[in-house]
Amino acid sequence: MNLSVTIGRTTFANPVLAASGTFEFGLKFRSVTNRLGGVVTKAITLLPRVGNPPPRIYEFPGGILNSVGLENPGVEDFSTEVVPQMANLKCRVVVNIAGFSIDEYGELAAKLDSTPVDALEVNVSCPNVREGGALFGQQPRVVEAITAVARKRTTKTIIVKLTANFVDPVETAKAAEAGGADGVTIINTLFGLALDGNGRPFLGGRTGGVSGPALKPFALFCVDRVSAAVRIPVIGCGGVMSAADALDFLSAGAAMVQVGTASLVNPEAPLDVWNGLKQHARQNRLSKWAEIIGRSRRQS
Amino acid sequence: MKPTRCPVSAARELCAGVFSLWLEAPDIARRVKPGQFLNVRVSSGLDPLLRRPISVCDVELSRVRLVFRVVGRGTALLARVRAGDELDVLGPLGRPAPELHHKEILLCGGGIGAAPLLFLGRRLRKANRLQVLLGARAKAELLLVKEFRALGIPVATATDDGSGGHKGMVTELAETQCRMQNAECRVQNGRRWSAVSGQPSAVFACGPRPMLADLVKRLDPIPIWGFVEERMGCGTGICYCCALPKKGGGQVRFCEEGPVVKLNEVVL
Repeated sequence: MNLSVTIGRTTFANPVLAASGTFEFGLKFRSVTNRLGGVVTKAITLLPRVGNPPPRIYEFPGGILNSVGLENPGVEDFSTEVVPQMANLKCRVVVNIAGFSIDEYGELAAKLDSTPVDALEVNVSCPNVREGGALFGQQPRVVEAITAVARKRTTKTIIVKLTANFVDPVETAKAAEAGGADGVTIINTLFGLALDGNGRPFLGGRTGGVSGPALKPFALFCVDRVSAAVRIPVIGCGGVMSAADALDFLSAGAAMVQVGTASLVNPEAPLDVWNGLKQHARQNRLSKWAEIIGRSRRQS
Repeated sequence: MKPTRCPVSAARELCAGVFSLWLEAPDIARRVKPGQFLNVRVSSGLDPLLRRPISVCDVELSRVRLVFRVVGRGTALLARVRAGDELDVLGPLGRPAPELHHKEILLCGGGIGAAPLLFLGRRLRKANRLQVLLGARAKAELLLVKEFRALGIPVATATDDGSGGHKGMVTELAETQCRMQNAECRVQNGRRWSAVSGQPSAVFACGPRPMLADLVKRLDPIPIWGFVEERMGCGTGICYCCALPKKGGGQVRFCEEGPVVKLNEVVL
């Protein structure tokens, strides 16, 4: 039984990742991180960012909105202070990178190329910044250009994290594939607005990104479409709260899943998801994930 | 860190909208320090999704006490918990309040803010001289007065309507206290709050933001450690959703660097 997954040059021991932004750098709960396929870091930008003013989180029945705004130490401090600490994690390290111009993605990729991280997740989908972010991710040509620029500057595995905000992710996924991506993550948070009951925006960043269980049907829908349209592996993300959810994503065509919001409720959630998947694989005597990946299409 | 399921051994309403729960939680009781909080699930399903951070009010042998006010849907659900139920709890979380010795310490609580000060008072009383000031809208809403007195800590109170103690704000009481001390100090050595021990002293405060801001203004430059409340995501430092702006830029992530912070260093 081989339950590992390979994307680009990176082999993950299992198909469960902690999603960007929801597990910091995987260092707080090492015993969880070590047993996952990998951890995706908080988004890293060229320069340090303080992020958005509070409040940064809003809860609604079905999930949350966040507007953290890419708070991070910047790529220099990240490389010298954080990466060495991540080096002895026993899982794969994926660095989420966010640029504010096409060239910045190239610079970020180049700077991280010489560090011992395993893969880059190119973030063209953050809803919480004024420039770049999801605006890039809405334009297939820009997605292709960003991917190509990063591809040119690093030999590491490149995964592009796409948005489904006001764009057909099939088009942007094809663009990422054309630009040389090894895989795509779908979906990032959806645009959202929360008001405070008196007509004022609740979040300090005014708008936010919606995540949590409410996203799952739409995320599954996107994974189903995208995985049918591209040859590179798709990483499913959006409302994975349990192993049952993760199985649905694999069945819809995802090669891996990311667990995000669930980790805020329980830092053991990604591990619970993996343990549940493993149990399912054993009980059903799977020899490889391919037996279930995309089975929803085969059976319809 | 795994969440634990803790049996509730006692549940009671202290006054309108304020509830007290005792949890049987030996591991947490052993490890928790004043200033820390527990992150509590208020439903077994997905709604409400996030845990609710609640400061530890007291610890007794293997039991931990939480005292909270109903402010929304989550805490309203928590108020329905009865003895015999179980709560899904993550913790203890947050950075403990600094351990002080040989100091004169003022504990100043507004409303529900009295809760975390009780546990702090219990731990600080042996090595320090303490005074507690509690404020509320009316006498019936003054919390934990008996408990503080049982620890041998003198309590002075202030109420908006004058029904219990000083008529007015608890911050006024605090200012009076400090000025009184201050007058004595000036005569002796010109330093505030050093009449007895000869060392600088501290104030711990917990209450609504306006109260904390008012206290900073009135007591400046005495250092004030404040228990600050803000919406949290994870409570464990992994999501960066709870941020409190620092004076001069940057921010405090106070589920991790707080919830007890130096009030004169943050923007309230």
